Amino acid sequence: MNLLGIGIIFSGGRGIGRYEDALKQGWQQPVEYDIPRIQKRLPVYAVNNGDIADKVLLKKMRRADKLSKMAVLAASDAIKDSGVDINKNRTGIILSTAFGAHQTTFDFLDNIIDYGEAQVSPTIFSNSVHNAAVSYITSALDITGPALTVTRFSFPFQSALQLAQVWLLDGRCDSVLVGVADECGEVMRYIFDGKLGTATDGKVRPFHFSPTSPPVPGEGSVFFVVSWKSPEKAYCRIDDIAFNEGLGPNEASDIDLIDSDGTIDGTAYLKALSPTVPVAAYSPLFGSLMTGSAFNCAAGALMIKKQMQYAGPILENPHNVNLVDVSRPAGIDLIRSIGYNCSAESAVICLRKSRL
Amino acid sequence: MKNSEVLITGLGVISAAGRGLSVTLDSFKRVDRNAGPVSLFTTSLECPVFEVRQIPAGFIVEKSRTLSLALCALDEAMDSTSLGDLTGLRVGVSIGTTVASQLNDLEFYRSYRQSGNAPMEVVDRYIKGNIAEFIARKISARGPALTVVNACSSGTDAIGMAFSWLKTGLCDIAVAGGADELSLIPLCGFSSLGIVNQSLCSPFDRDRRGLNLGEGAGILILETEASAKLRGKSSDLCILGYGASADAYHLTAPRPDGAGLEASINKALAEAGIGPGEICFVNAHGTGTTDNDLVEGKVLGRMFGPDLKVLSTKGFTGHTLGAAGGLEAAFTAAGLSEGWIPSSPGFRNKDDDIPITPVKEETRIKGRYAVSTSLAFGGNNAALLLGRG
Repeated sequence: MNLLGIGIIFSGGRGIGRYEDALKQGWQQPVEYDIPRIQKRLPVYAVNNGDIADKVLLKKMRRADKLSKMAVLAASDAIKDSGVDINKNRTGIILSTAFGAHQTTFDFLDNIIDYGEAQVSPTIFSNSVHNAAVSYITSALDITGPALTVTRFSFPFQSALQLAQVWLLDGRCDSVLVGVADECGEVMRYIFDGKLGTATDGKVRPFHFSPTSPPVPGEGSVFFVVSWKSPEKAYCRIDDIAFNEGLGPNEASDIDLIDSDGTIDGTAYLKALSPTVPVAAYSPLFGSLMTGSAFNCAAGALMIKKQMQYAGPILENPHNVNLVDVSRPAGIDLIRSIGYNCSAESAVICLRKSRL
Repeated sequence: MKNSEVLITGLGVISAAGRGLSVTLDSFKRVDRNAGPVSLFTTSLECPVFEVRQIPAGFIVEKSRTLSLALCALDEAMDSTSLGDLTGLRVGVSIGTTVASQLNDLEFYRSYRQSGNAPMEVVDRYIKGNIAEFIARKISARGPALTVVNACSSGTDAIGMAFSWLKTGLCDIAVAGGADELSLIPLCGFSSLGIVNQSLCSPFDRDRRGLNLGEGAGILILETEASAKLRGKSSDLCILGYGASADAYHLTAPRPDGAGLEASINKALAEAGIGPGEICFVNAHGTGTTDNDLVEGKVLGRMFGPDLKVLSTKGFTGHTLGAAGGLEAAFTAAGLSEGWIPSSPGFRNKDDDIPITPVKEETRIKGRYAVSTSLAFGGNNAALLLGRG
């Protein structure tokens, strides 16, 4: 299938152009946020509220939460970026999320605790369900194809992308908007710090592998338009999405893009990487999150389309891995986007230069 | 029968109507409505709910009733098709849920609010409890695994997703369905929306006053014909079509013209290659709320005519949310297999605005094809078309 458009919102801003700028600029210090109940101030790659203030697109969803707004903006931008006039009855939507609208869920629990079971807000409840974000996308973009929200903690994006391919293969859709959205509200920051720790200097160090360097939580949304169509503007092809089958095709990739972000021990990455293939990881641009693979894939697709390689934002390299350490034009035909989970199971997405 | 690539080789159910398909069908015949006040947790809300009376000890997962319910139904489903050792098989897991997907532990959150110190075991349990991942680990399934969180259509969509996996060769066997426990959070939420009935629900009835919540799990073992043959299994039940469409209308209210539901059913019919006249019954979503039943009833009447044999089994199970699609697909398959459908409990008086009339008593059915529908928060509509050889 072909990747026709990308919409993205992350701590660095909104839009694929802004993401490309961030790839060129390199690492930026994330903002620190208070976690008042534990009297801590920690860095978070948080999406700026100003970046989700789109009064035109969001005018009918003033009551929606941050997660839904991020998802609607990314989905809408992906379609615009594709430049394709999609058939709205034949376009599917798949949103994958690890934690869903957890901040709104906690707001609903606040209601129960503060006002009692019989006095809770129906609006907050309605917005706390996992598929609220997709519902807002369908309404905002008037898309009436199949709309699905899925969740898992290992490979949430890769699994959704595979399903998008399946929907195209069995003729359920002509195009699919597939993406991820996750937020990092106050309680999640507390959980993240309690479970994994947080790098207080705000730096995600993806190449420390083992022992890991502490992560820094992130949030945002990425959507892709995928289709069999192959317009000239397409970013790349996505043919292979493989789980637990090694690292994909035998042919050498031009760049291996890894999902390492400090959240799990990275020994599996270290063992799998080839010394002859340069490696990149862009988690220092968007933070550590279970759906981070989608953000890395967006970077990979951009690199293929632009035939540019972007230096990793943070290049601390204690294991002397062959890194993409310079930004420059490059001939790139194949990028493997590689993820491992804490059981050392793998997921690999192969991004290839489109054939016109 | 139409050529089917995807057989239903196993079924497993647990709900207030009973544990196991055979017990459940007996309960249907007796028109048991096993509802009562909430006993699983403390609440000030007074309304009947459909709780599962007992989950056998062997299936209990500590502090996760949803997983316990799922394992119970899974055991029956796998046992019914002698599916044990999965070595060498490509098995996918596609399960719908609502409650199990949310980090909504009230005591965890209360503790965080009060002291800034909440027990991380709750988070560990939540992370390990993603239902599709949990089941995949439990049975060592090595195929695709995804938890569908599409509100009340989750179970139907999960089966539809597995159907696509099998059709496109992503796996040979799929464990598909839905599971959900009764929880205080949706009980408060649905109550706040004013759609919880203070007495027993009466789907499609003129005087309907809302839904009753329930809990349960319904699991189907779906399998390619080639895989079943290799295992020496056969089945005359199959999935022939699945359709899903978004309303693109409202977060909670169904689209008044029912266009999304109609499109879903039409897609399922088209995929199966059969016409509406060949459908012998519809197991409707039929929650008992004013809006759902009005829209769904109009669509079913428009598509299948006023003489359609139609029922809602929610009068037996309550609305089991993410489990509903799994349970109702299993009940639909059982109806085709047994040649009868139960009465639609709670229905007494026809609503003049709804052009269909649910069956009031156990009814023989003739035919090979049936439809199970789901509508959901978010404007999701989904339909499965099941067949019998």
